[in-house]
Amino acid sequence: MTVAPDDRRYTDQHEWARLEEGRLRIGITDYAQEALGDVVFIELPEPGAHVEAGATVAEVESTKSLAEVYAPCSGTIVEVNRGLVDAPERINTDPYGEGWFLLLEPDDPGSYGLLLDAAAYDAIST
Amino acid sequence: MIEHSPLHDLHQQLGGRFTDFGGWEMPLQYSGTLTEHAAVRTSAGLFDVSHLGRFSLAGPGAHEIVSRVLCNDIDEISPGRAQYSMMLTQDGGVIDDVIVWWLEDESFVILPNGVNQDAVLARFGDAAGTSAVTADLRSHTALLAVQGPDAPGILDRVVGSHPGRFRVVPGEWRGVTMTAAGTGYTGERGAEIMIDSALAPDLFAALIDAGAVPCGLGARDTLRLEMGYLLWGQDLDEATTPLEANHEWVVGWHHDFIGKEALEAQRAAGVERTLIGFAFEERRVPRHGYRLRCGPGSGSVTSGNFSPTLGVGIGMGYVSPNPGEASTAAVEVRGEWLEARRVHPPFVER
Repeated sequence: MTVAPDDRRYTDQHEWARLEEGRLRIGITDYAQEALGDVVFIELPEPGAHVEAGATVAEVESTKSLAEVYAPCSGTIVEVNRGLVDAPERINTDPYGEGWFLLLEPDDPGSYGLLLDAAAYDAIST
Repeated sequence: MIEHSPLHDLHQQLGGRFTDFGGWEMPLQYSGTLTEHAAVRTSAGLFDVSHLGRFSLAGPGAHEIVSRVLCNDIDEISPGRAQYSMMLTQDGGVIDDVIVWWLEDESFVILPNGVNQDAVLARFGDAAGTSAVTADLRSHTALLAVQGPDAPGILDRVVGSHPGRFRVVPGEWRGVTMTAAGTGYTGERGAEIMIDSALAPDLFAALIDAGAVPCGLGARDTLRLEMGYLLWGQDLDEATTPLEANHEWVVGWHHDFIGKEALEAQRAAGVERTLIGFAFEERRVPRHGYRLRCGPGSGSVTSGNFSPTLGVGIGMGYVSPNPGEASTAAVEVRGEWLEARRVHPPFVER
């Protein structure tokens, strides 16, 4: 049982988003990586793509199952963490740090504030 | 009703995470499937496989029953040895694949898959009539598997000896009888040990103290897949024959067994539907039910996962018609056909 860091916000689908100079860095939570088990494959989107909130932005395969990762907000993907392709285990070892998935330029700067705060996420994930 | 292993409390103390295996709540993993897989390939892993079926068959006629009810030829081995075999329908379909421990002339232990314990036990019971007697062993024993290159040394230190490959050796630990067989489901050296439930947690803990890494059934599945070992219910069922499963080596043609006529007819006519193995060139994971093509054949994946040893996705599945010598395959992963190399299992040489 872990406590979600309070420097970012969350979705009820177990993604996190951290606001960095107007952009959102996005990954999956510690709870999500625990539930998935060892991640062995990741498919990331192309930078430049525009995505709607809730759309699939990445696929993650573990030795147990396949999971989709959804965009917490609508926006344009500006960068992806290519290093994960050859080292997807970083999603397990450091989900809130080196295991980040992508940077998103949100269409609406206010959309971040609508996500769950850490306490609300802890309430649904612990 | 959910069944629990006699080791359940210990698994909880060890931080195991559980899953339902055919009605048994068993550890899927402790530290993680990849770590546990690596331990078995490079040192030693320890599995609780108490959910597997097991019963004894003993008394006059036991040998004859084993010979007739199972398709492998028991007379290719001798007392004190173990054999992989299958129970077939009259049509040659696989009711179950089993391990047989031949203890003494007219005394055997049969180890079916957990979900098939009742069905296999019933068929042996029917065949046994009044002379030989079957008795369930699962209700009062545990079954442990120690697997890996370091397993023989660990067994020597903890229980005083280790069985050779496919040897079955009666033994004793702390004054209680046990049976150790040089078998497993990983391709590695080691043993499967049946011991009284009351003493099993102590033995499990002693084997960990001696260096074996506790492993869940997640690692057991990636290990068996790398060896091309079949899983009944996925790769085998009553609609599939051992010939279709590329397991003619399990068929002892020189003795009479249930299903033999059907297999002879199929062998003469040629096998239309056949099991193939394949490997991706990338990490993508093929999964049960994905569509599969090979040469002119099409079908679906029955077992697939990531191979930790090879670092790519591997799998098996049935295609029809027979693809002959086709050297490539393709698997549909989420709407996209991915090229794969055809592999004749094992995927990993041991």
